[in-house]
Amino acid sequence: MKKMNINTVKVIALCVIAFCMAVAGFLFAEHRNFKETVVVSEGCTEVKKLSDYSTAIKPGSINDCNVYIYDSGVEGGTFLIIGGSHPEEPTGPMVAQLIAENLKVKQGRVFIITHANTSASTITRIGEAYPRFFNVETKWGTKSWRMGQRHAAELDSWPDPEVYIHYPSGQNLANVDIRNLNRNWPGKEDGLISERTAFAIMEMIRNEGIDYTLDYHEAELEYSVENTLVAHDKGFDVASMVSMTLTAETFDVPIGMEFSPAALRGLSHRDIGDHSDAASFLVEVAEPMLDRIRGITDEKLLMEGKDIFVIKAGEHGLLYAPMDENGWPIEKRVARHVATTAKLIEMYTMMHPDQAVVVEGLPAYEDLLVDIGCYYHNPYAADPSRVYYD
Amino acid sequence: MLVYINGFITLCTYGIALFFLISIVRTFLKTKNVQDAIVYAVMMVPFILRMLRLK
Repeated sequence: MKKMNINTVKVIALCVIAFCMAVAGFLFAEHRNFKETVVVSEGCTEVKKLSDYSTAIKPGSINDCNVYIYDSGVEGGTFLIIGGSHPEEPTGPMVAQLIAENLKVKQGRVFIITHANTSASTITRIGEAYPRFFNVETKWGTKSWRMGQRHAAELDSWPDPEVYIHYPSGQNLANVDIRNLNRNWPGKEDGLISERTAFAIMEMIRNEGIDYTLDYHEAELEYSVENTLVAHDKGFDVASMVSMTLTAETFDVPIGMEFSPAALRGLSHRDIGDHSDAASFLVEVAEPMLDRIRGITDEKLLMEGKDIFVIKAGEHGLLYAPMDENGWPIEKRVARHVATTAKLIEMYTMMHPDQAVVVEGLPAYEDLLVDIGCYYHNPYAADPSRVYYD
Repeated sequence: MLVYINGFITLCTYGIALFFLISIVRTFLKTKNVQDAIVYAVMMVPFILRMLRLK
C-alpha cells in the first residue's frame, strides 16, 4: 500500500512537472523562434546577409542578419544604420525597421541592419521578468517585436571567460560583456559570437566604403549618458550641429553631444571610427524601464515609459533626464531617433558634400509623436518579394 | 584557441548536465520518501531544459 502511494505521488509529480516544463518550454521556444516582418520600401534595391561579407559568421546562423541596401544609383556617400545592438532597448529595431519600410534614397547609399545582435533578441534578462514581446497597434493589426537583452543568449555563446579581454586593445572588461555587441567593436574574426558579429559588420563597413554610421540605443534615466549623440573624433563637427539644431528647433528635451572617450574600448562610437574610414555616431534616449528603481516591469511600462518610482526620483532631482507624469512614451523615443537620423544625414551632407546622402520618406517628428503604427506596413497585403524576416 | 576551449567546455557542460539528470532520475526512481520525490522531480527541470537547448 505504501509503495503504491509513493509511486502514485511520483507519477503525479512527474505529470505536474512535465506540464509546467512543456508550458515554459513552449514559451521559451516561441520567443526564440519568432520572426519579425519587415516590408521594405520600394527604395530597397538589395538585401544581403551579413555572412556575405565575412566568413566569421556562418550562413544561416543565429547572427546572420539581413542587411537592407538602398542604392540611389547617384554617386554620393554611404550611411549605415545599426539597430538592435541592445535588444532590450526597443527603439533600436523599431526605428531601423520603420526607416527600412519608408526610406527613399535620392543620392548616395544607405545600409540598414535592424537586428545587429539577433541572438540577444531571443532571450530576456534572467530574473528581471521582462515581457517576451512588445506590440504596436496599426491599421492592419498588431505588429510585434521580440524583447531581448544586452547580451547574446547563453545558448549561443557560453561559457564567458573569467575576465573579458577586449581585442585588440587588451583592455579588461566585465566577463559578461564578451556577449555584449557594443563592447566588442571592432570584433575578432575567430572570437566568440559577438566578437565575430562585430568583425563581420566591420568588414562590411570597410568593403562597402561606408562613410558614417549611427547606432541606436536607449538608457536608464539614472545613467549620465542620456538623450545625447556620442561622436567619434571624425564626427565632432557634424554631431555638434545636429545637437544644436535639434535642440533649438525640434526637441522639447535637449539632445546633448558627447565626445567618444578614447580610453573606453569596444564601443561602436569609438572602435568603428578607429578601425575604418567611417565616422561613427551613437544616439541615446531615455527609457524608464531600464532604471533599477522601477516598479512592475511589463509591456505597459516599456511602451508608455511611466513609472511612479522613477517619477519620484525625478521629483528629487536624482535623474539625468526630466521625468514627470507624461513619462517617455515609445512614440517620443522613436520620434527622437528618427529625427536625429534625418538631421544627421542632412548635416553630414552639408559638411561633407563629396559624401552626400539625400533621402526622402522619413516621417516628421511631430507626426511620429501622434502615431507610429501607421508607418509599419501590412506584411500580409504586401508584395511577398518585399517581405523579409528578422 | 579560446574558441576551441570554449567549445570543449560547452560540450563538457552538456555532458555534466546529462550525468546529473541521469543521477537525479535514478534517485527519483529509488526514493521512498514523498517529499524527496517531489524535490527530485523539480530538480530535473533545468537539466532537461538545458539538454533540449530551450533555456
